Amino acid sequence: MRRSISSLVLLVCLLLFWEITVRMFDVSALVVPTPSNILLVLWDGLIIGFLWHHIWITSVETLLGFVLGSSIGFICGVILGEIDKLRRLLWPYVLATQVVPKLALGPIFIVWFGFGMTSTVVITALICFFPLVENTMTGLQIAAPEKRELFRMLGAGRWKTLVRLKIPAGLPTIMAGVRVSIVLALVGAVVGEFIGGSEGLGASIIAAQGMMDSPLMFALFVLITLMGILFYQIILLLERRLLRNWSKGEIL
Amino acid sequence: MRQISWLPMMTNTAFFDFDRASYAYETGAKILSNVDWHIPKGAFHCLVGRSGCGKTTLLKLAAGLMLPTQGQVRFKGELVKGPSQKVGFVFQTPALLEWLPVVDNVLLPISLQRAVQAEDRENALELLELVGIADLAKRYPRQLSGGQQSRAGLARVLLTSPPALLMDEPFAALDAITREELQDDLLRLVTMRKTTVLFVTHDIAEAVYLGDQVAVMEQGHIPSIVTIDLKEPRSKDFRYENDFSFYCQSIHEAMMQKTPVEM
Repeated sequence: MRRSISSLVLLVCLLLFWEITVRMFDVSALVVPTPSNILLVLWDGLIIGFLWHHIWITSVETLLGFVLGSSIGFICGVILGEIDKLRRLLWPYVLATQVVPKLALGPIFIVWFGFGMTSTVVITALICFFPLVENTMTGLQIAAPEKRELFRMLGAGRWKTLVRLKIPAGLPTIMAGVRVSIVLALVGAVVGEFIGGSEGLGASIIAAQGMMDSPLMFALFVLITLMGILFYQIILLLERRLLRNWSKGEIL
Repeated sequence: MRQISWLPMMTNTAFFDFDRASYAYETGAKILSNVDWHIPKGAFHCLVGRSGCGKTTLLKLAAGLMLPTQGQVRFKGELVKGPSQKVGFVFQTPALLEWLPVVDNVLLPISLQRAVQAEDRENALELLELVGIADLAKRYPRQLSGGQQSRAGLARVLLTSPPALLMDEPFAALDAITREELQDDLLRLVTMRKTTVLFVTHDIAEAVYLGDQVAVMEQGHIPSIVTIDLKEPRSKDFRYENDFSFYCQSIHEAMMQKTPVEM
């Protein structure tokens, strides 16, 4: 609690410094707007309501892409983690999908899926895919050899060992991948909108740039940051709930 | 002073049969070579030896977790081809699943096979009572001390009442007092249930205290088997009797011998 108060005090100090410096040197709002100006624009946007639609669009794209990419990533991670031969065969390709800059794929996705939501969701999903593949594959290896032998002694087959031992043992690692994924999802959605969106917060930044409306751009930055923090916190809360049995006894 | 008797080969009543069993890694490194050992039913058998002499490998061959590269291992006359649920295995670590409460850990052998019934749960709680941690049934493994975790592991392996128990230095990580308590509890439980036990340890005193027979292992061979003729049931005082130290000394000497003893 005390720490979050100090963080808040720091924020207020920085904003004051920013406000005073910009006013003192009379910097144009086009280059760096004052925090008060940004807040005013943000406030107007939320009261008048034109921002809500874009918030909604970006949220839907982020969550759809996140759910799609993470689920496929998890399933691929399980398959690649379980079947060594397949992993050796496919791993270079999985890696390739990540090394290729997603932004560069944007134009071709627009050709395939058209302007709008679908392209953005696909880009977001592609970004969310990798952390889950990687962490699921790693997570499945975590279960101690003795526990695997225990499962063999108890006559558990491959499927039961996977579901009752390997996935639960790896869940903390898998959830760490989910956390990375949700942060990247928002980046993916905004960047996707830069390229092919006509709606959403990313598209709004491009539009604001076109109108040379720097205060609005800054207001959108603030909004995207807050959304990112919110999504992250929701996932963190879900993770704590899901893993509450795992952490029992860590602090006696 | 009692005599040490060198056991003759027993083939007809054997529970576990090692028949010229050998194990070597793919690299050619030999872990076990031509082990002949016939373990009769219903007694407590200990296997002592230095670290890395092949004790654990021998135990895993008996369990079917590993298969001999040469020779045979039989359980009740049948060739061991893989793990069997008639044999319980206790590992060096308690190997409890951290995300399940103790009682569900104990129920694992059943829950992996079929749905857990109310009577299974009662059975598990009774076992926890027997090993002395009934009040910890709803706790999670990380909330337990090392000794309590070992007890939970013991309850789990006893749940399906296997006729044979294979134990791989299960108490090695515990402090001396806790270990002695667990040894007494283990003896009580397996005597009550007439379980055949093959217990691997590097601690000579532990082997003499627990075992009806102690086999000594040396570089992949079993050069000697000593029958411990102490009165039953054993209690804490035995550890300080003359006979006890006599046996400990004999086994120590057997372990120090470089060449296998002719039997």
